[in-house]
Amino acid sequence: MSRQHHYRRRSKEPADLDMTTFLNLMVVLVPFLLITAVFSRITIVELSVPTSAGGSAPVPASFRVEVIVRDQGLEVSDGSSIIARLPKIEGEYDLERLSDLALALKQRHPDKQDASVLLEPDIEYDHLIQVMDAVRTTTQMQEGDEEPTRVALFADIAIGDAP
Amino acid sequence: MSRNRSRVTKMNLTSLMDVFTILVFFLLVNSASTEVLQTPKQIVLPASTVEEKPRETVVIFVSSVEVTVQGEPVALVADILAASGQNIDAIGARLAEVSQSVIGIKTQVAAESREVTILVDRTVPFRVVKKVMSTCTSQGYGRISLAVLQKAPDTQVAQG
Repeated sequence: MSRQHHYRRRSKEPADLDMTTFLNLMVVLVPFLLITAVFSRITIVELSVPTSAGGSAPVPASFRVEVIVRDQGLEVSDGSSIIARLPKIEGEYDLERLSDLALALKQRHPDKQDASVLLEPDIEYDHLIQVMDAVRTTTQMQEGDEEPTRVALFADIAIGDAP
Repeated sequence: MSRNRSRVTKMNLTSLMDVFTILVFFLLVNSASTEVLQTPKQIVLPASTVEEKPRETVVIFVSSVEVTVQGEPVALVADILAASGQNIDAIGARLAEVSQSVIGIKTQVAAESREVTILVDRTVPFRVVKKVMSTCTSQGYGRISLAVLQKAPDTQVAQG
C-alpha cells in the first residue's frame, strides 16, 4: 500500500513507454545488417579502347601524352621524344613525380584530355592501375585550404604495349 | 518474489536506443545500394581513387589461376601465358555464347550493353590482361571497364 502511494506521488513525471519489443527488434536488426553490410566498395575504371571495326586513322604527328611503364622505371613521352625518365625508387615506381610531370603537361596543354599508358608485358596489373591513377588525377594544395583539392588531368586513358 | 522484482532498478536505455536507431538507419541505407559486383575470395583487386559505379555488364574474372566469364570458368592463366596469338579462343567462344543465349533479364541487360567489366587480381601480368581485352574487342564488346576497390584519395600532399 505504501508503495502505491509512492508511485502516485511521482505520477506527475511522464509515463515511460515499454520499449522492450522495439529494443528486441533493434538488437536483432543491428547484428544482421552489420553482417550483410559491405564496406569495401567496388568502382570501375573506364578505358577508351578502339574497336577493331572503327580503327581510327593515325593522327598526324601531334602532341600526345604517353607514359611507358618499364621494368626499370617510368618514361614520359610526348609522342615523338622522351621527356623524362623516372627510375624506380626502392623498388617502387615514382608516382609522385609522375603526377607532378602530368600536372605540368596539363598546365601547358589545358585542352588535352587523352593519354596513353604503355606497358611491358610482364608488368603487374596493380602497377597499371596505380599509374593510371597518377595520370588521371592529382591532389594539389591550394593557398588557405585545409584539405588538398583534387585536380583532373587526363581523363581518357588508353592502354597499349610498350615500344 | 513480487516484492523483489519491483525493486529491480530500471535501466535507462534512452542513449542505447538512440545509438541503435541511428545504426539501423545507417545500415539500412547502406545495404539498400546493392552491390552489382561480387568479388570472389581469390581475387584481390587493386585500389584506385575513381568514383564511377559499376553497371550491369558481362563480367570477366581473372584470378591468378583461371579466367571466368559470366560465372563459368573457361581458360587457365598458364594457358593464356603460353598461347602465341592475341585472341583466346575459349574466352571468345564463351563471349559469343553469352551474347546469343540470353536467359533472364539480368543477362539480357548485360549482353545488350556490349560492355565488359574485367576484375583482375593485382598480381596478374599485363600480358594476360591485354590478351583478354583484345579478345573482348574482337568479339564486339567495345567498352571495357576495369574493376578496382575504392580508396580514399591520397593525403600525402597534406602531410608533406
